[in-house]
Amino acid sequence: MIRRGNALKRTAGVVMALGLVATACSSSSDGEAESTTGDSVVTEETTADTAAADDAAAAADDVEVTQSAGGRLAAVQAAGVLECGGNDTLPGFGIIDAEGSFSGFDIDFCKVIAAAVLGDSEAVNVTPLVAAQRFPTLQSGEIDVLIRNTTWTASRDGAEQANFLQTTFFDGQGFMVRADSGIASIADASNTTICVLTGTTTLLNMNAVLGDRGIPFTALEFESNDELQPAFVAEQCEVWTSDASQLAAFAANLDIETSILPDIISKEPLGPVVADGDTEWAQAVNWAVMATIQAEEFGITSENIGSFADSEDSGIRRFLGLPIDDGDGNEVIAEVGLGLPTDFASNIISQVGNYGEIFERNLAPLSLSRGPNALWTDGGLMYVPPFR
Amino acid sequence: MLERILRLAIILGILAALYIAYWKVRSSSRSDADEPPPWRDSRVLVLAAQVAALGLIWSAGDYLWANFRARTSDIGLELDFGFLDQPSGISIADNPLNSNAAIREALIQGVKNTFLIIIVGIPLAVILGTLIGIARLSTNWLLSKIATVYVEFFRNIPVLLVIVLTWTIFLNAFPPVRISWLPFGETFIFNNLRFGFPSIVGGNNFGAFQVIVLLGLLAAVAVWIWRSRLFDRTGTPHHRVLYGLGTLVAISVVGFVALGGPFDITTPEIIDRVYVGGITMIMPYAAVMIGLVLYTASHVAEIVRGSILSVDKGQVEAGNALALNSFQRYRFVILPQAFRVAFPPLINQFLNYTKNSSLAFAVGFAEITGVIQNLFGQSRPAPQLLLILMVVYLVFSLVLSAIGNLINRRLQIVGR
Repeated sequence: MIRRGNALKRTAGVVMALGLVATACSSSSDGEAESTTGDSVVTEETTADTAAADDAAAAADDVEVTQSAGGRLAAVQAAGVLECGGNDTLPGFGIIDAEGSFSGFDIDFCKVIAAAVLGDSEAVNVTPLVAAQRFPTLQSGEIDVLIRNTTWTASRDGAEQANFLQTTFFDGQGFMVRADSGIASIADASNTTICVLTGTTTLLNMNAVLGDRGIPFTALEFESNDELQPAFVAEQCEVWTSDASQLAAFAANLDIETSILPDIISKEPLGPVVADGDTEWAQAVNWAVMATIQAEEFGITSENIGSFADSEDSGIRRFLGLPIDDGDGNEVIAEVGLGLPTDFASNIISQVGNYGEIFERNLAPLSLSRGPNALWTDGGLMYVPPFR
Repeated sequence: MLERILRLAIILGILAALYIAYWKVRSSSRSDADEPPPWRDSRVLVLAAQVAALGLIWSAGDYLWANFRARTSDIGLELDFGFLDQPSGISIADNPLNSNAAIREALIQGVKNTFLIIIVGIPLAVILGTLIGIARLSTNWLLSKIATVYVEFFRNIPVLLVIVLTWTIFLNAFPPVRISWLPFGETFIFNNLRFGFPSIVGGNNFGAFQVIVLLGLLAAVAVWIWRSRLFDRTGTPHHRVLYGLGTLVAISVVGFVALGGPFDITTPEIIDRVYVGGITMIMPYAAVMIGLVLYTASHVAEIVRGSILSVDKGQVEAGNALALNSFQRYRFVILPQAFRVAFPPLINQFLNYTKNSSLAFAVGFAEITGVIQNLFGQSRPAPQLLLILMVVYLVFSLVLSAIGNLINRRLQIVGR
């Protein structure tokens, strides 16, 4: 009897002891959690005036990093090289060749920014990223700018702490079929099998639009284009849906004859992205990109830029950073206060070219036409604010 | 973390001091003092060690959780499950799921697809693996070498590669839909998207016919038991499989004729890209399932081979002495004993098979991992979805091993 009583008491003691330990631990953890949150609140307050970070506490750390370095623009100029996040598998936009050098439409815009900020279009270090990596890498401050066929959407601007700049390519979701399939529009595509990448907005758009139009279909979802492309080639799926420009890029490399349907079911504006919270850097990148479009509007190319040195047009002189007569016989150079060299536009055009040249060089070989990416003067969407 | 460990140590120290004080008071009040001091009392020491270990584990877990909560609240991540009722936006091939259906519906369809891979594949893997395991021990040189090559090939390449390999072979071996292969007078359809097989469709009196088949099944069981008892009593060859099947077929045929043909056989047909009649199976499903079966069978074969070798040689000789032929020797002497040894490691292979089914999404078959990967891409909260995914696989595995252990226990009791 006595022994059993002891055992009972001992058990009770153990339970109580465990309870004590548990209470001690959980109360302490609360304290620690609070203090962690407290830290980030402080960070946010100190940077709130520049960061315009009203709700995003998570952005606070990133903001802290970029601001404490004295601004991204100064940091890039000090480093002497632009860290650019790009694609390495998409022909025409960003692809790596056998020698390990990158080329493509998006890569050229990395060079544009390097030419503007550093005066040297080759001072670029491209980091190839897969879709899922791109925003975390940008948020971490590992790259200065992300130019990787990335669609500008509200949730990315908001939830991903990204800052989308001038759209360089107005894209839309399209559908590709074999040329001999007899499918001329998505209305003909009822009961077909459609190949699509899993976890993309493309998939959501397709389900929504085809669902609304009452077109039955089977979706085959793939993790990567490495499996999707052979499935399309083997006619497992009759239709391949993706951004129209990507479809054109893949079509150019396929051995089969394909055609892209006229139906474009979504808006996919692609452009450079920087992290939230550094307005100076965002403006520098933005105006560098816009300079290519302005140059095309002025008719300045990398070939003929020399002939503009004695241009009479004050708008062109100001744009190229050439001295302007102030009327009293004094030569002055216009300073727009972006933190960029006054001749940044000339550097861009002479080293990389204007928007039209970049497009011709990378996308024309894929038989992509300018379409909505023509200048506004030609009825397209490429319109930039005045350089003055 | 250091501060936490320190705090834990202090608390445990206070507890120890309290207990020692209690022991002092008690031993001084009692004259006999038959108990050793607590630092030499093994029962107390064991308990103290357990309390300390539990405290440490609790403390570490609590630290990790607090850290996680602090980060998630920093970036404003909600940890509730309200999102399960929002429209998923995704669709699943050959599944009537509407893309506006709730996320929980999509998850259920994903679980269903995982279940379909498991329920068909595991029996196939066991059958194939057993045959190959026996073939490896065959005295036929060619047969045993073929089995060895099979096992060494599949056992030594990653399972993802096996799945992609089967898928690629199917993709290129079968023709595209527009020139589908229609063997046996167009009763089957094979193309690189779907396989179609004939099936039955109920007509008049189909319900009555089902009842008759059920009665036939009961009668077959009764006949089986009767033949078994007769065999036990008199030693007459029982032929119970033959008798049982015969009863079932006879009753079914009589019922079929009496009810005037209660069902028809439909063959699959493609009319304007739509599959009509028969039953169809999507190719990625077949590719994943067969890839997993081929891979798992190589492991099962090794288990079967090992357990056959573990059966005492005297048993084989006894079988030979009774003039049993090779089949009878395996069926009645070796396999029942080998199976008892093979079963526990087989359960392991079933669990591996279940977990490997998560690789199916690589070739476009939307089982639960594929569905959840897809939802990740649609900005759905990852922590909750991962938790759901873990719970799903945990439940599958626990149920499988529970069933396995049940069978295993029965095997052991019957045997010894």
